[in-house]
Amino acid sequence: MAADKQTKLLAKQLFKLSVVNGVVSPEQVAGVLGWVEKTSPRRPVALLKAYHHRIAIELAKSRAEVEHAGPVSDATLKQIEAAMTKRYARPVTATAKANPKLLAGLRVRVGSDVYESSVAGQLAKLSV
Amino acid sequence: MLNLLLATVETTAHTAEAAGPIEGLKQTFVHFGVEPKYLVMQVISFLILFGVLYKFGIKPTIATMEERNKKIADGLKHAEETQARLAAAQQESAALIKAAQLEANKAIEEARKAAKEFGDKQQADAIARAADLLAKAQQSIELEHKKMLDQARGEIARLVVKTTEQVLAKKLSDADRAAYNEAATKELSVL
Repeated sequence: MAADKQTKLLAKQLFKLSVVNGVVSPEQVAGVLGWVEKTSPRRPVALLKAYHHRIAIELAKSRAEVEHAGPVSDATLKQIEAAMTKRYARPVTATAKANPKLLAGLRVRVGSDVYESSVAGQLAKLSV
Repeated sequence: MLNLLLATVETTAHTAEAAGPIEGLKQTFVHFGVEPKYLVMQVISFLILFGVLYKFGIKPTIATMEERNKKIADGLKHAEETQARLAAAQQESAALIKAAQLEANKAIEEARKAAKEFGDKQQADAIARAADLLAKAQQSIELEHKKMLDQARGEIARLVVKTTEQVLAKKLSDADRAAYNEAATKELSVL
């Protein structure tokens, strides 16, 4: 069921209530869910889907997925976390994910942003 | 008979010579049996006959002849007028034919000129179209050539990259990858 305009607006307002200092607050999210359960607003399923979508996007912005080929040390992850935290001005946690297709190097995905420095990427540029 | 007539005339002549010319003429008339009263009656009869003939024969005949002559004269006059009109008509028709011929010649000349201009224009258009087609064909050939070169270049690059990837996947050691990862980390950190 697609959310109408009022439902989207309400989901947006609930999302704003869930973010404190640029970070999604679990307590606020729990409070929002409790309010939804208690008041049961119009079209609750569509409202929760829209709210969930916004929370997932926001959480993805606080998470850096580091794809790598070859070994990656914890120090490297910490360094990437620090760089992304500084860039986005919010706490960003890095998680490693092996991707042998990169051959060597890293690909960092934060939300919808992608940063890459890999051999596969360099070769792909050559083939274009 | 003839001898008798000659003898009578001779006798009358001798008698007339003897009594004068008038008396001789009278004696001759008498000798031939011509009486004056009969002569006068015959003259009157002749005049009456002449009058009747004139009134009922000669006069209508003359009138008919005059009328016929008038008709002939009118016909001749009409023929002359007709001939004059015919000549005028012939002159007019000749003038009209000449004018029509001039106009026809002019029309033919204009038609020839128009046909020549049309032919020249068609030829020029055909040449322009041919040149345009040639240019388009050349452009198409060049474009196709460039496209083929790009495809070949892309295919070669793809093969080179794929080969390189396969080689690197086999040849790169963990140490090499770790070193590259460190360098990548530094690069991403300063973005």
